[in-house]
Amino acid sequence: MRSDTIIIGGGLSSLVCGIKLQKAGQRCLIVSAGQNALHFSSGAFGLLGKLPDGTAVKEPMRSLSFLPEEHPYSKIGVDKMAGYVSETPAFFESCGVRLHSAPIAGEGGFPANGYRLTPLGSLKPAWLAMEDVTLLQSKDNIPWSKALIVNFFGFLDFNSGFIAEGLSRRGVDCRVETVSIGDVENLRKNPTEMRSVGIARVMGKENNWKEFGSKVRKLSAGEDLVILPEVFGLGDPVIIQWLREMIPAEVMFVGTMPPSVPGIRTQMRLKKAFEVAGGTFLSGDTAVNPTVEDGYVTSIHTTNLGSISLDADNYVLASGHLFGKGLESTPSKVVEPVFGLDTDFPSDRKTWCDEDFFARQAYDGYGVVCDGSFRPFIGGKSVRNLFVIGSEVGGCDSLYEGSGAGVAIMTAMSVAGNILSGK
Amino acid sequence: MEEFDVIVVGGGITGAGTARDCALRGLKVLLIERDDIATGATGRNHGLLHSGARYAVTDRESAAECISENMILKKVARHCVDDTSGLFITLPEDDLGYQDTFVKACLAAGIKAEVIDPKEAIIMEPSVNPDIIGAVKVPDGGVDPFRLCSANIVDAKLHGAKVALRSEVVGFIMEGDTVKGVKVLDRSTRQVSEYYAQIVVNAAGIWGHHIASLAGVNIGMFPAKGALLIFAHRVNGMVINRCRKPANADILVPGDTVCVIGTTSTRVPYEECDNMVVTPEEVDLLLSEGALLAPCLAHTRILRGYAGVRPLVSADNDPSGRNISRGIVCLDHETRDGIRGFVSITGGKLMTYRLMAEMATDTVCRKLGVDAACETARAPLPGSDGGGLEETAKKIWDFPTMAQKASVGRFGSRAAHLDFEDDKSGVVCECEEVTVAEVDAAVERLDVCDLVDLRRRTRVGMGTCQGELCACRAAGRLAKATGRAAKAREDLKSFMRERWKGMYPIAWGETLREGSYTQWVYSEVLGLNED
Repeated sequence: MRSDTIIIGGGLSSLVCGIKLQKAGQRCLIVSAGQNALHFSSGAFGLLGKLPDGTAVKEPMRSLSFLPEEHPYSKIGVDKMAGYVSETPAFFESCGVRLHSAPIAGEGGFPANGYRLTPLGSLKPAWLAMEDVTLLQSKDNIPWSKALIVNFFGFLDFNSGFIAEGLSRRGVDCRVETVSIGDVENLRKNPTEMRSVGIARVMGKENNWKEFGSKVRKLSAGEDLVILPEVFGLGDPVIIQWLREMIPAEVMFVGTMPPSVPGIRTQMRLKKAFEVAGGTFLSGDTAVNPTVEDGYVTSIHTTNLGSISLDADNYVLASGHLFGKGLESTPSKVVEPVFGLDTDFPSDRKTWCDEDFFARQAYDGYGVVCDGSFRPFIGGKSVRNLFVIGSEVGGCDSLYEGSGAGVAIMTAMSVAGNILSGK
Repeated sequence: MEEFDVIVVGGGITGAGTARDCALRGLKVLLIERDDIATGATGRNHGLLHSGARYAVTDRESAAECISENMILKKVARHCVDDTSGLFITLPEDDLGYQDTFVKACLAAGIKAEVIDPKEAIIMEPSVNPDIIGAVKVPDGGVDPFRLCSANIVDAKLHGAKVALRSEVVGFIMEGDTVKGVKVLDRSTRQVSEYYAQIVVNAAGIWGHHIASLAGVNIGMFPAKGALLIFAHRVNGMVINRCRKPANADILVPGDTVCVIGTTSTRVPYEECDNMVVTPEEVDLLLSEGALLAPCLAHTRILRGYAGVRPLVSADNDPSGRNISRGIVCLDHETRDGIRGFVSITGGKLMTYRLMAEMATDTVCRKLGVDAACETARAPLPGSDGGGLEETAKKIWDFPTMAQKASVGRFGSRAAHLDFEDDKSGVVCECEEVTVAEVDAAVERLDVCDLVDLRRRTRVGMGTCQGELCACRAAGRLAKATGRAAKAREDLKSFMRERWKGMYPIAWGETLREGSYTQWVYSEVLGLNED
């Protein structure tokens, strides 16, 4: 089977890269093993929330020059970063994913970071958010004084108490209520079904979300703000808008424990956009047995397709970090399992982790070693037609910086651009 | 000011057992624990229900105590016991001649040891190393030390005992050479109170060394660290031991959904007893030795590493601590040191806690002139008065759910007191099937004050995911039950820190992967470390 580009991995970076290439006329194949970080998304994308030295970032584009040269953003360069950042909202809109930034612009018209209310009542910086999520302009000034937090009766993955505590710390008067809906009550009979996606499926039915909306409307008299769990609009986010219209107060959706309904919706929409553009998406399959000759990948195989060889002009590795299994670890080393690419992990495992759970973990900052065009190395030798994108790229600690989605989108756009320009 | 007959210091299994025994004999009891129940060696061992076979050759007295207690616990603590039986295997590199010595010593100590064909042993226990050249079946089993400790405390309270957790003994109230009571620091309020009693029993495990020193008494304690690893699957059905003189990492014990390999034995400075960390060297040793017992351990995911300190009383200069008897040491400080009203119970092991409690209580009763017989060898612990799991569950509910059966597994017949109405049938911890009902009951009735306490009572967060999702659910429920969300949020932080402490020494493969996912969820999605 012949493609122009084969992308290994089915998450955010893979789909952005695939859609860009496919829309530019290439024939792309994505090999996806299964779930990815979008399934566990916060509902918002971060570009840069903190510099490596810990300084909080308000305007990501103004902070790029403070990043070290090995950082993926530095490799892309400020000018190209500016182009990709500007392009991102329209790009996602064209894929059926509406993203918004906080309603304040920084220097050069680039969005400044807004703040997302987390399921535990904290405020985290974010660049762009999915439709459910409300981005606040400031951490200190919440524009509402009275909030009603509504949960489904018996739903343990949304903790009204923590949200109320976080908001009351910021001077918002909170009230907590629960609502029962017949179909959700039926879910409760099997407790493991009583999770975000299970409820979202049930709430996709018109009579259910309408019943929920009218119950919340009755409860919300006199409230400025109504907070609901992110369990709506799994298939079609228009339900989110309709609920906002039904309820006579500002409606804010706050995340649940994983899986993430807005994240899964985004993944499904991007995948559909890729397929509508003509791309081929192999689900539940794993790339294996590549052939690499003279610094070029000539073919790969997959576990499901067995002996059928897949070949392409260019290959993109977007299979994730440790959690996504793009990197695998043993007691003495970290390897990239498909090609055996060079990583920058030290061999002494004592240096990978900090003993404090909340401290910065060194392993988050390690990844595949890449050149300025995100080409990796095998045994120190460059592979010319293979590119690495997303969290697998070394040179930055995305969890610490709050740059996970940003690195995924920026490296994907950059590599797609390089492939298309034949660099 | 409240006066007691006896104050027991230490909320481990020895203290809990002693408090229960004293209460059953009609004494007015106060149990004082500086942290939570089962935080020391009680919660940091294999959870092995010894048959005594391990000590048969080297320590006949301990072996005899073990088998006697083994048979008692199988009756009185049945909901804490997993009667798996065990194997002592001989590997090609071991001396098969030792098996004879071993079996003879077992039989002499009253332990039913049965030599079986290695082929039969492999059929009985498919995870065992297929290269074995010898196998002996013994009545080993598993015991849940948290459950056992909790059941003893529940019973002590049912018989009128008072329990003060998070209360640290900071000094003794003395009148000349007589102990009159203790000064206790409440760790939450930071206030010091005085409690009076006719006798104070020091059952503080390795920390008993310090408690004794507060009364001016010296007990030469021997802190010997033992490190263990928990695997994410119950790979073995029976306990597997090496048939040789006790050495490192030669016992593999199945327990609930997991199995545990251990231990090492290293002398540690007394000052380090509060902060035991498993080193990479210990991990490597446990893994390589463990794989000799059950080869699949080499590629089974490790859940966490942990270490405890054996409270041995030093007798000689043995640097490993292995040749010291696990024997029980019951000291009446009046005859030993001239300090009246003070008794220490130490040495021993989880397996012989009941006997230790009996000996300590006998000493207390003798000193108080109380004539009451010990009941604990016959009276079942709360929860253990019913039949088997299925039978007990059916007595409570017509059609018990999986989660309700899991509750019976943990609480025995006392699961009847759980309330599954309304939203309480919701599952908090999917790995261990812990329901809201259990979490609420633990908060209301079992002195739970934070998430780590909750874990010790209910197994929340002890399963495969190590608290990834359930910790947050449990914290939410704790916030609701206590009405203190800010505190529950801080508890959640401590809980995640505590879980990671056991994970980072073994952070590679699936454990590192799980760790990195958990860090993503708690930092990125939940923002737990942010304002």
